[in-house]
Amino acid sequence: MKVPWKWLNEYVDLDWTVEETCERLTLLGVKVENLTLEKLDLSGVVSALVEDVSPHPSRPHLKVGTLNTGSRRYTVVSGAPGLVEGNIVLLAAPSSRIPGGTTIETRTFAGVESQGMVVCANEILAGEEPRSGEDIIILPPGTPLGLSAQDILDLDDWVMELDLTVNYSHCLSIMGVAIEASALSGKPLKLPDVFRKWDWAGPLGSRRPPDDPDEAGEWKVELPDPDLCPRYVGKVVRGVRPGYAPVEVERRLMLAGMRPISAIVDVTNYVMLETGQPLHAFDLDKLEGKVISARRARRGEVIETLDGEERQLEEGMLVIADALGPVAVAGVMGGARTEVSMETKNILLESAFFAPIPTRKTYRKLRLRTEASARFEKTVDPTAQPVAIERAAELIARYTGGIPEVGRTDANVMEPVRKSISFSTRVVRRTLGAPISAGKCREIFEDLHFAPGPVRKEGDFETMEVTVPPRRVDIEEEIDLCEEIARFYGYHRFEPKPLTPATPGGPPNKEYVWFDRMKDFLVAMGGREVVTTSLLAPDDLLAMGWDASDTRSTGVPLMDPLSSSESILRTSLLPGLLKVVSRNQSVRMPGGFFWETGRVFFPSTEELPLEALQLGLVMYGALKEGSWVEGESEATFFRLKGVTETLLRLMGCDASFLPGASMPFHPGISARVVAGHSTVGELGELHPLVKKNLNLTGKCALAWFSVEAILAMAREKRFSPISKFMPVERDIAVVVQAGVPAGAVVKIVKETARDLHSVTVFDVYDKPPIPEGKKSIALRLTYSPTDRTLTEEDLSLDRERIVKALRDGVGGEIRL
Amino acid sequence: MDDMGERVLREIEEAKTLAGLDQLRLKYLGKKGEITALLKTVGSLPKEERPGFGAKVNALREVIETRLREKTASLEREALEEKVRQEVVDVTLPGNLPQVGSLHPLTKALREIVGIFYGMGFTVYESREAETDEMNFVKLNLEPGHPARDAQDTLYLTDTTLLRTHTSPGQIRGMLEMQGRLPVRFIVPGRVYRRDPMDASHSPVFHQVEGLVIDRHITFEHLKGCFLEFARGFFGPDTEIRLRPSYFPFTEPSAEIDVSCTICRGKGCQVCGRTGWLELSGAGMAHPRVIRNGGYDPDEVTGFAFGFGLDRAAMLKWGIDDLRVLFENDLRFLTQFEGL
Ligand SMILES: [Zn+2]
Repeated sequence: MKVPWKWLNEYVDLDWTVEETCERLTLLGVKVENLTLEKLDLSGVVSALVEDVSPHPSRPHLKVGTLNTGSRRYTVVSGAPGLVEGNIVLLAAPSSRIPGGTTIETRTFAGVESQGMVVCANEILAGEEPRSGEDIIILPPGTPLGLSAQDILDLDDWVMELDLTVNYSHCLSIMGVAIEASALSGKPLKLPDVFRKWDWAGPLGSRRPPDDPDEAGEWKVELPDPDLCPRYVGKVVRGVRPGYAPVEVERRLMLAGMRPISAIVDVTNYVMLETGQPLHAFDLDKLEGKVISARRARRGEVIETLDGEERQLEEGMLVIADALGPVAVAGVMGGARTEVSMETKNILLESAFFAPIPTRKTYRKLRLRTEASARFEKTVDPTAQPVAIERAAELIARYTGGIPEVGRTDANVMEPVRKSISFSTRVVRRTLGAPISAGKCREIFEDLHFAPGPVRKEGDFETMEVTVPPRRVDIEEEIDLCEEIARFYGYHRFEPKPLTPATPGGPPNKEYVWFDRMKDFLVAMGGREVVTTSLLAPDDLLAMGWDASDTRSTGVPLMDPLSSSESILRTSLLPGLLKVVSRNQSVRMPGGFFWETGRVFFPSTEELPLEALQLGLVMYGALKEGSWVEGESEATFFRLKGVTETLLRLMGCDASFLPGASMPFHPGISARVVAGHSTVGELGELHPLVKKNLNLTGKCALAWFSVEAILAMAREKRFSPISKFMPVERDIAVVVQAGVPAGAVVKIVKETARDLHSVTVFDVYDKPPIPEGKKSIALRLTYSPTDRTLTEEDLSLDRERIVKALRDGVGGEIRL
Repeated sequence: MDDMGERVLREIEEAKTLAGLDQLRLKYLGKKGEITALLKTVGSLPKEERPGFGAKVNALREVIETRLREKTASLEREALEEKVRQEVVDVTLPGNLPQVGSLHPLTKALREIVGIFYGMGFTVYESREAETDEMNFVKLNLEPGHPARDAQDTLYLTDTTLLRTHTSPGQIRGMLEMQGRLPVRFIVPGRVYRRDPMDASHSPVFHQVEGLVIDRHITFEHLKGCFLEFARGFFGPDTEIRLRPSYFPFTEPSAEIDVSCTICRGKGCQVCGRTGWLELSGAGMAHPRVIRNGGYDPDEVTGFAFGFGLDRAAMLKWGIDDLRVLFENDLRFLTQFEGL
């Protein structure tokens, strides 16, 4: 909504500057998003008297005029009908400027030199040629000569562009904004007579004045679909002369963001901007029959709208129809068949109430959002239809010489509503806190043209009945009135008050603490957290190589996605993480270690999909970027396994690694992480096929974990006493079949050895002299007895036990 | 023998290396050494001469031993000093850097936010991302056909389910979990979705932080106080806030909360459009119907709610001017947040 400053001031005399007004309106919730000074460059265009007019010697359609600017005389050639002796016109003398960057020069018309030109509205407003039938601007008699066009027409203005929230439909009109400004400033509202007579601003809405001739128009209106159109007012104006609206009206429309068309159309737009009530004008002589029907479109009906488009109507869309069929898409756009033109003599004005939601549905389907539909969809004042039509008729009469019929056709099946809301200062105290008195509240309501009833004492509080004007469709209950009090009291006046200390007051969330710790551990191990989108393409899942039976292969689809690349919810963090690898490889980063936590989604038999919180990790390439001391280290299985083992240990989780994970892992270089009997995660190197499909190069290892499973296992640490006796280390190397997992060997050692603190694998060797098909696993055993110093005898006994157990368990032969 | 003593001590004095000293030790004090040999001659001397000679030789031997020890220590120190003189590193070469990880700025920002709200007695409640239309809209006073629904271009999963367009359904779910207990004070951080193509300031996937307080005697003034404390904690102690009337169907009165520009500190600059203020949050007093939908009686309790974009907060805090970089995960971006 654009509000020209001078137009606004026509309804309320503000003594604030325009900037100040913007600031105050913004703090009132009527947000001014932009303030621009709209200036027309008309330097050198001045008023001049036509002193003498003679025919052009050779061109019959041209005249030669002598124009006097008071200080100089100019000879001007023009065909304009308004170039008549005695008229005061606007002369653009040579070297003067008009919009569009045009500088006027002396021109010769068939041998006669024209010193500049006399201008029409289209030239000085838009910098364009005169429109069909457009005359030059004729100034009122007595206008001083030689005055600049800027001073005479006063066309420059500030324009405030409002960014309104959906509940501010009452500010979709200049008068609506004026009421807010008037209530805020205390300056009285000054409305044109017709609005005062009808009490447009009053608490009951517009009402027919007692002296209004209550004569129904000759046109009948049928309302077969009152749920879509409960009120339709029509009024005929006869004998209109085609033409254009005065330059200042056209300018105002342009400042408000609309294009001037013709006097009649401009008036309907002008009144819409003024009141918020959209209007339409039909060429009366092009309407068939004597009945207008606001009805649902029928199957197969088509209409050519004013913009020249042929539009297929759907059943259920509301149309305005005459005997021949639709003449307008109700509340959206009129039809071409009954369009007002330069030949129009008689018109039928329409001022109706169209239901908001159906109007929105219709314009959306037709992709035709107009100024009118934007107002109907937010609900217009249900009482303003007659007064708006009267105002339009009055202006059309003024600008076109037409004669409005007396009275109007008012088909109205709307329930009359008197909105009366009980209001107590209790709601102010409870909700706002500040002690705003009943008197102050009353004052605010009155300033807004609400009607507060007498104040009654009720316990500690005071109550009143407040009648709210129907144009305030946003106000329905007491809390809405409370908001009005807060707005006009001023949000800035409320004192910030700290919350009193309290025991934490939300649902318990212990896991969040562990969740945060987990992230810290990952950072400590060099991982970089990433954030990737949850919306993927089906191809992203396909690339992972999951077969159809895998729940991760399909994902939860979106009904109406933005694009196919964002059409399903992720079932795994891995596709997103691999994209991070791809991205960084493409910008030539030699390696990286990334992790992410986030939700993944699976189809479910419940209404909502299943959501699970996962941790994903990926590393690729060289993880130490060319350190001159140590060189590079690569993103291998063991590198990532080390990270996950450490993470699980730090979290206090007990889990084991079993060979072989699903896609997208390399089947031989991957593991399932199992806790209890369930798989809580997988890790491994990326399957070469997937790597190839994704165009990745070099080493790449990745993993995923169920965060829920990890958090469920997470344990706080307990201190265990440090042994007073020195730990002892012993190494043992055992040769086993190549297929025996080291984990099995370690497990036997752990189960057999006594006073053992830890056992680690420090070497695996399968070259000669180790026989083909075998490998040697070297273990370091750390003993830490708590009650004595171990003797050599203790240790050799233990070794014997271990050797035997390894031989029995995995057929191991001791090498060392 | 005195001559010999002098000679030995001189030789020790002149020794240049530890190996030379070892040879001298062998030469004089070894099994076949000269001093050892002298001692062996003691037995062949007349009885009365024996004690005197023996004592003399022993004394000499002690002197030599002492000198050898001293000289060894001195040569060792010299050798060490020489070694240290040789050992020079180029200190301008890079150290062997440990691998440092990093938190994503969104997590970092959220941690600060959570910390500030913990201090005010809030807990963290994490709600769902896939929601019902009922929870995302209807329970929040957004009936079907409500024009404010259009402002949030929704990504629907089915006719009745969707990806939450805001964290506000967390208000209802959180309240329901509280089962009427007071006070209610929690924040709901999380991911939200809109039907917005990606550009410098929009993304179909972004993040919000919702806050809700429900209790007896909670007023608009507490909303102001609580948000001011948060804003100062997050953006700095000299931060100011400004509340403007706004509209959200689930709060009334509703407010838009601006914070003083983090770049120009309120003087006006490009970032804040010369206003000195940055729009940050939507807020307001919890609508009575919403309070009721959460299982509380709006006649007994009041409350306030707020919600703001986590991405925007992080961008303002660290001067990130393009939303897209948050989701691109370029290492050249991520490494900038090491140590945060
Ligand atoms: Zn700024």
